[in-house]
Amino acid sequence: MRATVGAIGMLAVALVLLSGCSGAQVPPASAPTAVTTPAPASVLPPPRPAPEVTVPTVSATLSANQAPAPLPPVRIRVETLGIDMAVEAVGQTAEKVMELPKNPAVAAWYRFGPSPASPAGATVIAAHVDSLVYDIGPFARLASATAGTRVVLTLSDGSERGYSVTGLQSILKPDVPWDSVFDRSGASRLTLVTCGGEFDYEAKRYLSNVIVSADPLP
Amino acid sequence: MRKSLTIGMTAASLGALIALTGLAPAQAADPVAKLSVFHGVPGLTVDVYVNDKLTLDNFKPGDLAGPLDLPAGTYKVAITASDAADASKPAIGPVDLPLVAGMDYTAVAHLDAAGKPTATLFTNDIGKLEAGQGRLTVRHVAAAPAVDVLANGAAAITNLVNPKESVLNLPAGTISAAVAATGTTAPVIGPADVNVAEGTNTIVYAWGSLADKNLALGVQTIAGLHSNPGSIPAGEAGLVATNKPADTTGLWLGAFAAMLLALGAAAVVGLRRSAAAARR
Repeated sequence: MRATVGAIGMLAVALVLLSGCSGAQVPPASAPTAVTTPAPASVLPPPRPAPEVTVPTVSATLSANQAPAPLPPVRIRVETLGIDMAVEAVGQTAEKVMELPKNPAVAAWYRFGPSPASPAGATVIAAHVDSLVYDIGPFARLASATAGTRVVLTLSDGSERGYSVTGLQSILKPDVPWDSVFDRSGASRLTLVTCGGEFDYEAKRYLSNVIVSADPLP
Repeated sequence: MRKSLTIGMTAASLGALIALTGLAPAQAADPVAKLSVFHGVPGLTVDVYVNDKLTLDNFKPGDLAGPLDLPAGTYKVAITASDAADASKPAIGPVDLPLVAGMDYTAVAHLDAAGKPTATLFTNDIGKLEAGQGRLTVRHVAAAPAVDVLANGAAAITNLVNPKESVLNLPAGTISAAVAATGTTAPVIGPADVNVAEGTNTIVYAWGSLADKNLALGVQTIAGLHSNPGSIPAGEAGLVATNKPADTTGLWLGAFAAMLLALGAAAVVGLRRSAAAARR
């Protein structure tokens, strides 16, 4: 209780300081200058109208304005971690759970999200870390990935894309920002997901997701 | 609309709480309206004025502009020949477009069924889609009678007239689309491959003039209507757990605790039994 009162007191002091500072930093002379500046602009009319804003304009033809067909990844390799797995295309269940193959030696690509052919967003590949039937899977070794670890995807057209690991996070499941993991905007990138951290032996589930981020190699 | 208003009010009333806990709101109501403009009048390069201000200069047939983020309100849109000095002699309009915050619109300059230039404001369906679904919107903005839209050879939309639209949610994927006079299957446009992309509203415009033989398809896409997975349960055995019993001491302690529990349970059962026996 005393701590709360103290915190509120400090907050009040901070607010007073903030408002005091901003008040002191505004010089009284600035108000008249702000009023006088726009006046000359409105006096001179432009000779020929020009758009005030540039509106992005594209051709609406079918060929120029459609989402590209996805290019599914079919194999993932991380040589330094001894990972070499087939990749299946999966969706999600009615309960919004990403569908993974039972076998932890087979990885899954979220087929409704970005693929390596997408101009933007995260290609998401996940695999079970272990299984009561199949034992420990290769993605268990993702926990040893470091910045610069090289990941290679083979795509359905036979081509390969190289990625370099930029980060590794272990996040408690309730705190995982799924909309960021499955982000379809921003730079084109690769996100690998498995389980890790502590295990709830009653519920038979891990408490965290291990999330590896990787950027495409040039 | 009512829904997004409710969300906005909830977000506002929770504002203080959110600020205190430092949580970003999951989905804040968008305070602006989005407006795109599609030009579907063949052979006429135009300028577009919004509230008497030149907004699109030398806008060509078949082009799509935007989306513009605009504060909610009513906007006066006038379309002039591309050499006009101002909006005083519009070729189309001026028309008043009432735009509501959080909504997504496309204003279309096009021919009516009889071939006269006009403008129509369409509201784009930006409702969330189930995973795996795409949305196909077809708009008839051509100087042509009623049409059917054929998807993979079968009539998916029938008797669509200028300036109406039809909206379908479909499993995402590429369809072969064609437009035919209603009741017939001989294409007047297409067939053409249209990618009805997942989580996207793919809006197809049938525009131009049947009499002038310049009917065409235009396409606009609005992405971001997808639903993401909310979890990835990716383990079930605890074989790599960080809280795995690490040495035999732990195991022995666990075994000892289990033994104590078993003994306790046995004692309770024993007591109950003896109590039951006593009652008899």
